[in-house]
Amino acid sequence: MTSVLSQYLDSVRDNLSLGLVSEGEVLSELQAHIEDKVEEMKEAGLSEEDAANNCIKLLGSAKLVARKIYEAHSQGTWKQALLASMPNLLFALLFVLNWWQGISWLIITLGSIIGIAIYGWYRGKPIWLFPWLGYSLLPVVVAGLLLLYLPTGWSWVAIPVYVPLALWLVVSITIQTIKRDWLYGALMLLPIPTIVGWFLAVGQEGKFIELSLDYIHDIAPWIGLSFLALALTAAAFIRLRQRWLRVVLLFISGFLTLIMVAFYAEGRLSLLAFSVLSLIMLMLLISPALVERRLRRGKHRPMAKGTIRL
Amino acid sequence: MLQKRGLMKGSVDSLLLSLIDQQPMYGYQILKELETKSQGYFKFQEGTLYPALHRLEAAGLITGKWQMLPSGRQRRYYYITVKGHQRLVTNMNQWQDFLTAVNLIIQPSSA
Repeated sequence: MTSVLSQYLDSVRDNLSLGLVSEGEVLSELQAHIEDKVEEMKEAGLSEEDAANNCIKLLGSAKLVARKIYEAHSQGTWKQALLASMPNLLFALLFVLNWWQGISWLIITLGSIIGIAIYGWYRGKPIWLFPWLGYSLLPVVVAGLLLLYLPTGWSWVAIPVYVPLALWLVVSITIQTIKRDWLYGALMLLPIPTIVGWFLAVGQEGKFIELSLDYIHDIAPWIGLSFLALALTAAAFIRLRQRWLRVVLLFISGFLTLIMVAFYAEGRLSLLAFSVLSLIMLMLLISPALVERRLRRGKHRPMAKGTIRL
Repeated sequence: MLQKRGLMKGSVDSLLLSLIDQQPMYGYQILKELETKSQGYFKFQEGTLYPALHRLEAAGLITGKWQMLPSGRQRRYYYITVKGHQRLVTNMNQWQDFLTAVNLIIQPSSA
């Protein structure tokens, strides 16, 4: 196969974002089509180079072909949309129904979320998995935040041990997700700034335990509302076909929920904290795309003539 | 030309389902069959064929399976599913009704 055809297939692959197995299938199918077409044109008297150029012309833009194939596969069912929104809904219910006060409900909720995330992870990472995966990392993040409330000396000991371990876990799971599609990575990380925002608003001035329970009780419906907004986002994300609409949805929803946190926290979230959280939200939404780009570039090694990477 | 493209766009699913219903085929074979059977009237834009096939597959109307050709090459053959066959029958009935209605208008004497 000529380098121009290999480049064409590389370009299709770079724009597919369907996961390794499906991408391999699509590329093998297009490669088979190209083989047949080039052979037909060579039999008609064209040189290999001319046949390859004509073939690409007939297939049309690689980006467009990839985008259309992506859109054919991207839309999840309503059942998948409901499943994807469930972890957000569970958290919304925890606060709206005041179940958060019972430690058993918290344990059941987190246990179910971690269990379902592990089940989905080892069952081919279905499209509904990623919000569950995000919430399953929550205990890791919350435990890290709680370290800030340890007595001063203990924090200095615990943080250097805990933070690298937690980061390793979060980063490796995030990278695995981004390898599938950076948008799933962004969907997975979406609730984190909102949760951290509520955490900061509630645990003001480092007096988390003593003063905050009454305050959580007061604002619980609003916390629930922010999780409900995230649930709707997850469901809409699964149902949308177009990538650009998914990107817009994540950005709007991310910043809207942060604004909700700032509004309902009634001044407990400082402007500086809000700005930092907005920056974190922006980074969490953009960095998966950059990481994916870097990962894909790493895969593009020089190859021998006549071979194709699938 | 634009009118023909519009008509083609509206009938892509039925044409593909109909061909695959007659016998399982792979992408390139579908293109050739479509061109031959329509005596050159239908020339599918090659880049739009695979998105259309994958759309039908995602909807559960066809299913793809890799098979070895006598030449030793692998090709992805598409088979129609029960749901796909039912959809084809519905589409064909609608198409027949549409043709009859159009004929009643444009060829009143033959109706």
